[in-house]
Amino acid sequence: MAKQAPDFANRPDNTAFTQQRLPAWQPMLSAGIVIPGFVLIGLAFIGIGVALLVTSQSIQVFEMDYTGVGNNHPCFHCSDPKPKPCVCKLNFTIDFFLKGPVFFYYGLSNYFQNYRKYSVSKDDDQLSGNLKNFESPSDTCSPYQRDNNKPIVPCGSIANSMFNDTFKLYQNVNATMKPVNFDGKGIAWWTDYNIKYRNPDTTPLRNAFNNTVKPIFWPVPAYELDPKDPANNGFINQNFLVWMRTAALPDFRKLYARINDPPYAEGLPAGSYMLEIQYNYPVLAFGGTKKVVFSNVSWMGGKNDFLGIAYLVIGTLCVLMSIVMLIVYAKFKFPEED
Amino acid sequence: MEIIVCKMVAGSNSRPIVCPTGLTWEVRANSPRYHKPRQKKSFLCFRWGRYADNVIRSHKFSPLTFLPLTLYEQFQRVANLYFLLMVVLQSVPVISAIPWYITIIPLAIILSVRGMKDLAIDTARRRSDAAINSRPCDVLVSQSFNKGKWKDLHVGDVLRIHKDQVIPADLLLLCSSEPHSLCYVETADIDGETNLKYRQALSATHSELTSRPSQETLAAFDGVVLCEEPNNRLYVFRGQLHWRGKCLLLENEHILLRGTVLRNTEFAYGLAIYTGADTKIMRNCGKLRVKTTQTERVFNRVVMGIVLSVLLTAVLLAIGAGVFSSWVMSHTGALTPLVVDGNPVYAGFLMFWSYIILLSPAMPIALYISFEVIHSVHSLFINWDLEMYWQPADRPAQARNTSLNEELGQVGYLLSDKTGTLTQNRLLFRQCCIAGEIYGDASVRAEEVEPMDLSWNPFSRGGLFMTAPGLLDKLRGRRCPFSTEFLRALSLCHTVMAEWKEETPVYQAASPDEEALVGAARELGWVFLSRTRDCVAVSELGVTRQYQLLALLDFTSKRRRMSVLVREPEGGLKLYSKGADIVILERLQKDLPYQEAIERALESFAQACLRTLCVAVRSVSEASWEQWSKTLDQSAAMATVDREALLEKLYDQMERELQLIGVTAIEDRLQEGVPETIALLKQAGLKVWVLTGDKKETAVNIGYSCKLLDPETRLVEWQELRQILQSPDPELSFLKARQTELWAVDKQAAGAKTALVLTGPELAEFDQRPEWGATFMSLAERCQSVLCCRVTPGQKADVITLVKKHTSAVTMSVGDGANDVNMIKTAHVGVGIAGVEGSQAVQNADFALSQFRFLQRLLLVHGRWSYRRISLFLLYFLFKTCGFALVHVWFGFFNGFSAQSLYETWFIALYTVFYTAFPVMCLAFFEQDASAESSLKWPELYKTGQRQELSSPLVMSSSLLYAVYTSLVLFFIPFGVYYDTDYDYQTMALTVALAATLTATIEIVLLTRYWTKFNALAVLVSVVLFFLCTRITHGSFLFRKAPQDYYFIGVSDKAFMDPLVWLAALLTTWTAVLPSFTALALRVVLSMHDKHRVHSASRQPVELRAQWRRGAPLRRSSHALSRGGGTGVRSTVPTVEEMVAPPPGSRVNSRVQQ
Repeated sequence: MAKQAPDFANRPDNTAFTQQRLPAWQPMLSAGIVIPGFVLIGLAFIGIGVALLVTSQSIQVFEMDYTGVGNNHPCFHCSDPKPKPCVCKLNFTIDFFLKGPVFFYYGLSNYFQNYRKYSVSKDDDQLSGNLKNFESPSDTCSPYQRDNNKPIVPCGSIANSMFNDTFKLYQNVNATMKPVNFDGKGIAWWTDYNIKYRNPDTTPLRNAFNNTVKPIFWPVPAYELDPKDPANNGFINQNFLVWMRTAALPDFRKLYARINDPPYAEGLPAGSYMLEIQYNYPVLAFGGTKKVVFSNVSWMGGKNDFLGIAYLVIGTLCVLMSIVMLIVYAKFKFPEED
Repeated sequence: MEIIVCKMVAGSNSRPIVCPTGLTWEVRANSPRYHKPRQKKSFLCFRWGRYADNVIRSHKFSPLTFLPLTLYEQFQRVANLYFLLMVVLQSVPVISAIPWYITIIPLAIILSVRGMKDLAIDTARRRSDAAINSRPCDVLVSQSFNKGKWKDLHVGDVLRIHKDQVIPADLLLLCSSEPHSLCYVETADIDGETNLKYRQALSATHSELTSRPSQETLAAFDGVVLCEEPNNRLYVFRGQLHWRGKCLLLENEHILLRGTVLRNTEFAYGLAIYTGADTKIMRNCGKLRVKTTQTERVFNRVVMGIVLSVLLTAVLLAIGAGVFSSWVMSHTGALTPLVVDGNPVYAGFLMFWSYIILLSPAMPIALYISFEVIHSVHSLFINWDLEMYWQPADRPAQARNTSLNEELGQVGYLLSDKTGTLTQNRLLFRQCCIAGEIYGDASVRAEEVEPMDLSWNPFSRGGLFMTAPGLLDKLRGRRCPFSTEFLRALSLCHTVMAEWKEETPVYQAASPDEEALVGAARELGWVFLSRTRDCVAVSELGVTRQYQLLALLDFTSKRRRMSVLVREPEGGLKLYSKGADIVILERLQKDLPYQEAIERALESFAQACLRTLCVAVRSVSEASWEQWSKTLDQSAAMATVDREALLEKLYDQMERELQLIGVTAIEDRLQEGVPETIALLKQAGLKVWVLTGDKKETAVNIGYSCKLLDPETRLVEWQELRQILQSPDPELSFLKARQTELWAVDKQAAGAKTALVLTGPELAEFDQRPEWGATFMSLAERCQSVLCCRVTPGQKADVITLVKKHTSAVTMSVGDGANDVNMIKTAHVGVGIAGVEGSQAVQNADFALSQFRFLQRLLLVHGRWSYRRISLFLLYFLFKTCGFALVHVWFGFFNGFSAQSLYETWFIALYTVFYTAFPVMCLAFFEQDASAESSLKWPELYKTGQRQELSSPLVMSSSLLYAVYTSLVLFFIPFGVYYDTDYDYQTMALTVALAATLTATIEIVLLTRYWTKFNALAVLVSVVLFFLCTRITHGSFLFRKAPQDYYFIGVSDKAFMDPLVWLAALLTTWTAVLPSFTALALRVVLSMHDKHRVHSASRQPVELRAQWRRGAPLRRSSHALSRGGGTGVRSTVPTVEEMVAPPPGSRVNSRVQQ
């Protein structure tokens, strides 16, 4: 215990960190903050809910099932899976002016695009234009990897099962069928169209597909998906891209086209229409249904009542809870005086 | 060798040996050829041989065995094994739902970090082993003593021990340099007592071996010792020495135990009987145990539960998968867009494993490594704490075991050693009362006493902490015959030996009390110089006087007094006595002048928690002495059973008609802050027990002075306790026994005012009556404290085992000596006080402190914080990982049970490490719900940990339940939003990921109460990292490098622009955290009431500290001069004025506890 300038080698450092005295903010919550806070959040949620619901209500939707169940359905004769192409015509009437731009969707139900083995059954390298994977597709594509020992391009289950019904829409104007034009462009994601999916640099495109075969279910090879427009052909065909972007849930719809050609760019006027469907895609086998949907969109996308209602429910719950808390608080604040 | 045997046989033929047989441990002196082949050896797992070598091995790894052993040890952790299985599963492509590299990297890191840590600890242990093993000792090898090392010692070796050397093995004392082959040993390392004990060689060995030059005779010594097998009974030894045809009985007094220190003896020669692991002290050391904390155990159970539920869920989902694939098979022919395996059962089997992989993040790999990091940081905080740094020794606190921190916050039982832990083991003469006048003032702290000018006294060595100039004047002026007699009594009536150092006498006493008394007399001028067999020389103020020592009526714990009968140089006969007050007061003459004043002084001394002794004198006439001594000689010669009783009676005859001259008051100095600490810990709900090898009186006295016992505490001793335990309804009789107290108005208070006092032999009865354990513990739980005295190290551990067995509370033991090692190892948490008694306690302790009072900070601050931090950390971790992983279960219902992940693989990999780990780590490092000051001010806060309020299975289950709720919300709200829309799987995955990250972040924000800059930064960094990493992994750069691994390209670009995604994530997040928010809000609303209560109740205990000195007085006197063991009986009958209501403090206590 020497007193002169002791050398305390083991003395811990006296810093805020080592002494656990870091300056800190300790939020002091009180009933006066908590209860109004709850009310405010509740009200905000109710507000968002109302806004969502109002917006959602303003979105016009027209949808039609065309699976062809029931004898009197126009597509009934096509629902029986037959190899030969089948066309069915669907007449319908829209009672209101469907404001444009109108989006044309097809919808499938009970279709498990999110089944793991299905959703991994593709070759991203191949689809990004890598010719090496044209020759030997990835194992993930199995069992749609090879057909008769020739590589399938595009390989895999997703591509193989691509939706192949086609639609033509006519407006019935004084008993004449006036076609409503649309093309399937501008419906895919920008990144999908520009980065993720790439055709090989080979010209003409079909040469890249030498020694490969088309997917088993496909009527035409990939390079003939849209022979007229090279920017919509092969792997960057937009309907193909939309299909390849697998759905989250077994009931889903996918964008087929946007109706933005005049004179229907402003919307579909009320009246009777005819939809001519090239019915190729079998769904009854797995208990699924098919439908077409015409809808316009808003800032929140398509019609979606669920979100608005959920916001309203949660918001109301918060407000109710704050009332309960207020009662509890009142009871406890003056316990002695009771 | 054969000659020895022949001699033996010849001897036994000529004179039949009547020794009892049945002793199986045979030791032959000086015959390594006999012992060497019987040495204990081992190869792999085979062991043979009998005699252990003298090597200590507390390390477990060698370079060769490190890798297999550490892997074996680590894979005993279920978690590690589980992760290994996951890695194996993930590398099977058919079932791999997540790439394999997601798990193996963290696993490898964990294994190596852990292995390195174990290696470091083991290396340190190996080093300290080596230091002990290479301590020197003198071994007799062929007629001369050679320097050897401890580890080379064998049974049968003859050793020479020098003064102040530690004895390396259990030895039979053959002879020593002192007369009669006496020698003194200090047994501090064994029983914590620092007084000297003597050991004596057999007279046969003494006379035969000391007569001639020692080396030769010792080398020729060929005795054979037969004794018991090695055992852990420290105070018992049974054996025989067969030598020269004679059979001599050996007892404990002939044995020098390993770990004791030779004192006051130049040399001692001994024969090694037990070495190494066979020695008694080693047998008393418990096995090295791996300690795990209760929280960890609960958590492990919860993790096991999680694993089982994951398995069960996986089975159910696998069945679902089988059903689904058979449905798909039956509905769609061979060519189906869904790739389904042909056999539904096989498909289900594969899905089972896939789901196990997919759900494995529910049991996060990062948890265990984070757990260890947090523990280490908490330990560092303990090491760094300046408040626990002991400047005089330049020693900070030390967390030696870095995995028990949260246990510090849950301690229910504190079992403390006494000597060196509660007390400083320094006795100070503080006050005395001579002829009714009190000298000195004990209310002044010893350090602050103004030293008296003792320069006139050439023999003064200092060490007197008393200021009494008045007394000095009287003494030096010889104005007061009483004072002279008083000091004369102190300098004559003792058994102390003097040793000269620097011209002044240093005293070696069998008890520290005597040393203090004789030392005080020396300082005041009455210097005990030396003693011979029948003469005591004393220098009285420089005049040397020889007193003829006629008789020494020694102390026993039954007599509780000692006396000397001396002939003064002038010729008169005087009897000087000192002893416990009750004993002396009943032997006084009638109508003494100062008796009343002295009794008052006794009371005031006792109140100040001083140990008091009464000093009395009596003049004896020559005639009565002659008659008495004649009778004494006669009875001493009688070697019958009644001898003891007869002697006692004789002594009693002499010690009567005494004249009381004064009272001494000795302070058994407590360590600084001990009473405050104990009071604080008691308020914090800890039960403090004292386990000591010391005598009952001493222990009880310390109990009072450190406020463990209140003056009005009723002591229940063994007789009473036994009756209670034996009665059919112990609870009832306990209550009844309590109600005999008049003041026991309300039962709650009465229970708290009782303490149990037990001694070692009594504790041994528990071995025979195991059914008493539970009853005893239930009684002890209602008592203020339990004192266990005269307990061996093994028994200390047994007491802890008893507590551990019958309560679920966490036990902590505190000790400072080697005798505490066993209990330190046995308790859930062992604390070593780095004191004077060597470092063995610290070596084996989980936490090492320099002062007992640091415990309050260790427990109430560090422990409480650690407990809270770690519990919150575990709860949160459980929540965030389960909530995150269980989403897959619900998703399974909508993807055909195909083990489809709802997250991008990179998100799974980064979620636990990058997105949610930092804030919770900061919480686990810095969280403080109350500052250190408040934690000490309101010790009641500590009870949270004892009640396991944050770590009970119930709390953990509710956290799990909350996780299930969160996972439901995380899945079903996005499900509702995206159902039947054109949003794709990847957008939904991102939405859920965003919501999961936000939920986890908001949850931690709610949990954090103490926002340092690091916390804020961590939260910020986590959120930023989420967006940054998401953008990077979704970017085109990485996609171009490896399209298969970064297939989420462009998702965040699009999704983060979409208000619907944000609105969905916001709703999901808010709904997920709503229960937490509500719980927090309700707590805030309800706590207004609570807070007022805590404040109003807690203000008073602070004042309580000021009231400590004002307890109801109880006169206590204790005599602690014993050399041998013994059980004195304490009288604890309260007098009328003590039967007042409990002091205000206790009432406050009971209110706080409500």
